[in-house]
Amino acid sequence: MEKYLLRNIENPNSADINEYVKAGGYKALAKAMDMKPADIIEQVKKSGLRGRGGAGFPTGMKWAFAAADPKMPKYLLCNADEGEPGTFKDRPLLEKNPHLLIEGMIISGHALRAKYGYIYLRGEYPQAKDILEAAIKQAYEKKFLGDNILGRGVKFDLCVHQGAGAYICGEETALIESLEGRRGQPRIKPPFPVNEGFLAKPTVVNNVETFSNVPYVLEIGPEEYSKIGSSDCPGPKLFSVSGHVKKPGVYELPMGTTLRDIIYTHCGGVTGDKKLKAVIPGGISTPVLPADKLDCPMDFVNMPKHGSMLGSGAVMVFDETVDLPKVCLRAIKFFEHESCGKCTPCREGIGWMRSILGRICGGTGNAGDIDLLLEVSKNVMGKTFCPLGDGAATVVQNFIKNFRNEFEAHINNKVRAER
Amino acid sequence: MITVTINGKQIKLEKPVSILEAAKMTGIKIPTLCHHKSLEAYGGCRLCLVEIEKMPRLQASCTQYVTDGMVVWTETGRVVEARKAMLEFLLINHALDCPYCDKAGECDLQDLVMKYGPAAGRFTEGKRKHPESYDDPIIVRNMERCISCTRCVRMCSKVQGASAISMVNRTSKTFVEPFSGGRYNCEYCGNCINVCPVGAIMSRLHKHTYRPWFIEKTVDTVCSFCGVGCSVTAQIRGNSIVRIIPESEKGLNRGLLCNRGRFGYDYISNSGRLKSPMIRKNGSLQETTWSEAFMYIAQKIKEIKEKNGGAAIAGVASGRCTNEDNYVFQKFMRLVVGSNNIDSIAGFAYAPARKFFEKIFGQGVTANPIQGISRSDGIFVIGGDPTAINPVLGLQIRAASQKDIPVATVGYAPGLKGFAANRLIPKPSTEAALLAALLTEMLKRKPLPAEKTPFEEIIGKIQPVSLNEAESACGIASGEISACVDSLSGMTNPALVIGRDIIQRSEGQANLLLLAALAQALNGRIYLSSELPNEQGLIDMGCLPDMLPGGRPVAVDSFRKRYGEFFNAEVPSAQGLSLMEMVEGAHSGNIKALYVMGENIAFNIPDNKFVKDALSRLELLVVQDIFTTETTRFAHVVLPAASWAEREGSYTNLEGRMQHLKKAIDSVAGLEDWKIIAEVSKVLGVDMNYRDSRDILAEIAKVSPLHKGVTYEDMDSGECMWPYKGEPLRHDLNIVGIDMPDMKALLKKPEKDKVYIGVDKVLFHSASLSRNSFALNSIYSEPHAKIGKNLAAKLSVASGDHISISTGAGAIELAAVIDSDMPDNIVLVPNNFEGRGAFRVMGWKMNAAFKAPALDGMEAVLKKLERVSAEVSE
Repeated sequence: MEKYLLRNIENPNSADINEYVKAGGYKALAKAMDMKPADIIEQVKKSGLRGRGGAGFPTGMKWAFAAADPKMPKYLLCNADEGEPGTFKDRPLLEKNPHLLIEGMIISGHALRAKYGYIYLRGEYPQAKDILEAAIKQAYEKKFLGDNILGRGVKFDLCVHQGAGAYICGEETALIESLEGRRGQPRIKPPFPVNEGFLAKPTVVNNVETFSNVPYVLEIGPEEYSKIGSSDCPGPKLFSVSGHVKKPGVYELPMGTTLRDIIYTHCGGVTGDKKLKAVIPGGISTPVLPADKLDCPMDFVNMPKHGSMLGSGAVMVFDETVDLPKVCLRAIKFFEHESCGKCTPCREGIGWMRSILGRICGGTGNAGDIDLLLEVSKNVMGKTFCPLGDGAATVVQNFIKNFRNEFEAHINNKVRAER
Repeated sequence: MITVTINGKQIKLEKPVSILEAAKMTGIKIPTLCHHKSLEAYGGCRLCLVEIEKMPRLQASCTQYVTDGMVVWTETGRVVEARKAMLEFLLINHALDCPYCDKAGECDLQDLVMKYGPAAGRFTEGKRKHPESYDDPIIVRNMERCISCTRCVRMCSKVQGASAISMVNRTSKTFVEPFSGGRYNCEYCGNCINVCPVGAIMSRLHKHTYRPWFIEKTVDTVCSFCGVGCSVTAQIRGNSIVRIIPESEKGLNRGLLCNRGRFGYDYISNSGRLKSPMIRKNGSLQETTWSEAFMYIAQKIKEIKEKNGGAAIAGVASGRCTNEDNYVFQKFMRLVVGSNNIDSIAGFAYAPARKFFEKIFGQGVTANPIQGISRSDGIFVIGGDPTAINPVLGLQIRAASQKDIPVATVGYAPGLKGFAANRLIPKPSTEAALLAALLTEMLKRKPLPAEKTPFEEIIGKIQPVSLNEAESACGIASGEISACVDSLSGMTNPALVIGRDIIQRSEGQANLLLLAALAQALNGRIYLSSELPNEQGLIDMGCLPDMLPGGRPVAVDSFRKRYGEFFNAEVPSAQGLSLMEMVEGAHSGNIKALYVMGENIAFNIPDNKFVKDALSRLELLVVQDIFTTETTRFAHVVLPAASWAEREGSYTNLEGRMQHLKKAIDSVAGLEDWKIIAEVSKVLGVDMNYRDSRDILAEIAKVSPLHKGVTYEDMDSGECMWPYKGEPLRHDLNIVGIDMPDMKALLKKPEKDKVYIGVDKVLFHSASLSRNSFALNSIYSEPHAKIGKNLAAKLSVASGDHISISTGAGAIELAAVIDSDMPDNIVLVPNNFEGRGAFRVMGWKMNAAFKAPALDGMEAVLKKLERVSAEVSE
């Protein structure tokens, strides 16, 4: 497939605006400037583009909600708080192709009549910050940003805000809280950000990859775009593949490529040609799949039918040697560390799950521990304020559902997991 | 119309509310720990989860709003299981030290666990450890008990507006900490303690001294500190108050209190309370019996009255005493002693301001409900910081500001910093120039109508002042002034909150006239700050030299006659003396006897030395008080009074609301002030014949045209508002006797290099009473001199350095505190601490219009001290 999101990425100077323009960049912006905002939204709607952050919400619909709200000003926020373990798909975009994101945001800003945009950048991406800021500076110099974009009288200002290292700030309302200078904790919904977001004004929050798709929609038109990949959720998709594969990395593939294709065709198969044991297909919060479920098309519609989710498209591959209870423990440690502390089940429940898993993996588990773990996860599931707690409970429940024997082995044999 | 079914009960609602609220309306209680009615929904504890038909997940009823046709079940098996699970989670890191925790017995978590279980937890690992923090003198934090409901943090930031505390860390390591670290650097309102559902944040004052089930009696009464009059509940064991708490449903404060109200009550149990009557014998005060004291006073008064006439005797009433005390006192002075010489500290600012506004707008113009402040569409503050003088009123301003209602402040009001969109801080004593410019600009935007009322005629004659003229006089950029006018002109019915600093001035009347004109131009409602709980009552009860009970002038024969006829006596017609005139009279020898009820005039009146000198010349000084004070030291007779908690009566607050003060505990030694006066009266041959305060109120209800038939039961209903059940005095608004301000004089710039001294109103203290509170002293134990950063730089003084402040009247030495918001040429000193009060070095000029002291233009010389001096010689 022809690359779009990563098309210029081999060029060592891909982050430079001149290289980007040379490769055809900012043409979609010029096109957008000649379009009415409502028409851009219509085209994005027609393209079928769905948010790439994990939930897969139709982007055009989100924009239409914000556009319909009469309150002004409107704000455009880019969620670049890429923190889901296993996910590193936005990083090449941010570091190698920042102008694609910037162009996408300017077009989106025009579509929404938003005059201010912020890129909420993951605290642990310091290089990306420098690259983005340099790129934004260049875009101002070339009049792609500022008070009079391309001489068309349209205004859009953009700046980077660096997070302080909290996973929860990837949740859009927590991101907004954090951007407003408060403790990063999710807000009550409704009101939704499209009506009352940043500074209580209509706000659109989209993922880096989502914005980066926008110029492409305009470039090739919604009809062509909608023909790429799965028909229900078309477009190019970045997959960040890690773990036991021969060629880990970020792959741009059509939406709907099967997991098997990704692992065996594109990544060259399992390292050392060992047997595959399990795959987490979309980042740590998505349910783990056993090796016999690789023929699922990776998209928002089909993955749930196969018992998991597309999530952020972060494929984590585990071969036969992996001790999965330990993986589960590692994942739960992450969730425990990142629980913001707002609601009871997430704050207290995940820590409890961690301690039970800890003793199982430590070889001191008791006979009833697996059931207790399931019970605690059930008490967390569906009762938390935001999906973070659910994510943790899902991990525990799916690891036990698919690999209960491994947990039992730890308990029965009093085996301490290797480091 | 929305129809919702909760547990099979159908209810109809006009507008959508949360399920929690809807359930409450139908009498169904849904348990919750993080929700609090004064706070916004949070959705954190997840205890209020309920089952909604057609929704797969349980929903938090505090954040989920009802929709038409919704069917909700609040106690299904699934819901109860979930609740049990949440409680089990909460107990994982909860200390479970109930047998030792003061909260046990009134702990929401304990109650819920008792109701829903679980009986035993399944968590076997160790709990979080977090040592209890005793870093603060008042507030103890036990974060092992904290359940992260964040009620305290939300209360502190959203309601109190102090933002002093925050949640720290994430996950189960989350806890609450003040930004200042261990010791709180906050307003000590204690509202965080009040909303804590568990024992995580508690008052240290009564730690381990009580258990909730030891409370023998609770008394709903009124706070004794300022003119707001918050409702408080006193919890009593034995004959002592264990705690003062607010109740969220009661009073105008709706569950809020300030530091003074919540913690400061402990002065009543101070061991320094006066215990016995004393008479000066051979130069020193010696204990005596009540009857001997009464005889002595009566004899002396009789002698002086016979020799010098009643006009040689004067009385000082008190804004801390009840309406009943003050009524009886003025009756005693007028009808028994035969003198209209009765006044109080209220005569310095509150009363003249009120009288002035009433003259222009009619009686009762300042009687506006405090709750209306947060509901107005703009607020204008001048003459002091309401968040320090009347803290709970100040919260109304902060609440308004948080709702984006524009707030403008004139003068140094640190408690509203960050809440006022327009902050104008003029140079000392130049507010009139600023006010005149604001008025001039306002009238340009909203001209006076063609057909003018008499007052509008007067406004039309006020000489206009341009922005530039104001700028050069008060030092505020004209752009800032006009920005303030922009904001003011958008208001349709703003609240004007006016404090004493603008009134106690040589140009006090000009300030009031300009404020009245501004109020007229803005269609504003006037609120007068009041530092004492019953200043309004002093006026209503006739404790003014020219006013009888019910706001009737003494000068009008018919009122005087009518009042006298009730008692077959005659009210003297001669105009009485104001408090300041009494002091001058004592100094000059015209006043021979002074009867002081509950006031420390040797400390609370400027130029202490002059006052003391005057007092020492008296033939008779009688002082009723609860403590030995600077004034009692000059007294011939000292009589111990009952404290605020030891008597029944009523207070009238600054909004003109009469509230019932109830007796909480028995007085060990003191008598009610009215009782002492009635006893003296009896010896003098006039038996007032009161059995209790009810008898007095019944008499007030008869003789005061304003208080027709008022009873304590009316007050208990909470809505005994001005003009109570009576008739205010109607007069045609033919305004005479108002001098036009001399703008030329008012535009005079203050001299550049001079430093002036002013009084700092400290949030943590209340005149000279609060110095007897252990709690308030532990928060604020030392007076400071506040100066601006430029003045500090000029003196090369850093915060904490000691400076000497000397004026023509004397010198004091204090530690300096630097506040960058202060104007350059002013030093502010509180007047609360013995020997180091501002009035020790502040003089006064007589404001002829108010017959009250003007405090402006008192020059001070500041010097940095190299050594720290511990003693200050008297």
